[in-house]
Amino acid sequence: MAKVKGSIVVNIERCKGCEICMISCPTGTIAMAKEVNSKGYNYAWPANPDLCIGCANCAIVCPDGVITVYRTKI
Amino acid sequence: MERELRLMKGNEAVAEAAIRAGADGYFGYPITPQSEILEYLMASKPWETTGMVVLQAESEIAAINMVYGGAACGKKVMTTSSSPGISLKQEGITYIAGAELPCLIVNVVRGGPGLGTIQPAQSDYFQATKGGGHGDYHLIVLAPASVQEMADFVGLGFDLAFRYRNPVMILSDGAIGQMMEKVYLSPPKERSEEILPWATRGKPATRERNIITSLDLDPKGQEIFNQKLIAKYNEIKEKEVRFEEFQCDDAEYLFVAYGTSARVCQKSVELARGEGIKAGLLRPITLFPFPSVRINELSSKVKGIMSVEMSAGQMVEDVMLAANGKVPVVHFGRMGGIVTTPEEVVENLKLKLMES
Repeated sequence: MAKVKGSIVVNIERCKGCEICMISCPTGTIAMAKEVNSKGYNYAWPANPDLCIGCANCAIVCPDGVITVYRTKI
Repeated sequence: MERELRLMKGNEAVAEAAIRAGADGYFGYPITPQSEILEYLMASKPWETTGMVVLQAESEIAAINMVYGGAACGKKVMTTSSSPGISLKQEGITYIAGAELPCLIVNVVRGGPGLGTIQPAQSDYFQATKGGGHGDYHLIVLAPASVQEMADFVGLGFDLAFRYRNPVMILSDGAIGQMMEKVYLSPPKERSEEILPWATRGKPATRERNIITSLDLDPKGQEIFNQKLIAKYNEIKEKEVRFEEFQCDDAEYLFVAYGTSARVCQKSVELARGEGIKAGLLRPITLFPFPSVRINELSSKVKGIMSVEMSAGQMVEDVMLAANGKVPVVHFGRMGGIVTTPEEVVENLKLKLMES
């Protein structure tokens, strides 16, 4: 089976920093940024992008549909 | 007519419900976590459809005084903010209460004091129910626990405000404002063009001029006015108490919680019952008037009451007054923008009530 590598894109301005994606990520890819968006929330971002397996758990649990997941076969 | 079903944020639901309730004006100023209300209204452009005015004022103080002016004309007007902004509005709110005018104020509470945090809290209970401004006045305070109630209480709030000519506050919090849930929206109502008999809309030859003021230089006159207000608040206490009970019938331990905390406690009741502890939940929907009578009745049946709030312990004082020493009343809460977990609540029930 071909190995899959994933990557995520976060719509920073729509993120309210609820941290649900961070908890749902099985590989610890996602962390909360130290910086804040224009509303003042610490937004989610891929702190360890190399760990992403493209499982899309984060996108499924995100209450605001902030995360987009891309998968590539390697 | 079938109601429309939508997936919305709590803040967006308030904005959409305001348009549908036939509101005449919204005056606000952005602040996290309630900015979506103003953003949604600006994007919806209701001035093109219903004729509702939406205006971003230069400050919170300007916004509440625009509400004062609009209310004096008998218009359905509202403002929204979050904790620090509501503090700025307090002078205007006491003037509106003193002038006996109807309006709707939404507070999407965040952690305090001061600028605090932008995460959800319930630490504005005292400010909302005991009068954050000066003088002997009360707001009617509604506490929604879901996005559905955020929408429903806008219409209800306007109804109560005009029935009693008193400002109404919806005391929400950052969690309910920001979370998305399905919501049934009621069908849109036309804006009313009726000129209310007390509104300052110009004097016709048929009656004396209307005066809207909160000032009376004669202390005797002011006392008579204060007594009139007390009579109004007593009528509200008698007729408008709203609450919801969850498994209270055979409960030995009672949680009292509103808003987000009530949702947490619902799960805590299930967890406790799973362990064989007979717990129940009373959720006040109106915080003023407070369901004191029902809590007093229940306190004859239960072994203890725990007030669960996202604050250092504010509503617990009203619960204690209601229980009037019949049973132990304790408080549990997290602060600063942290939401309690159902497990924590059960643990503290055991620790604070059952083992002591």
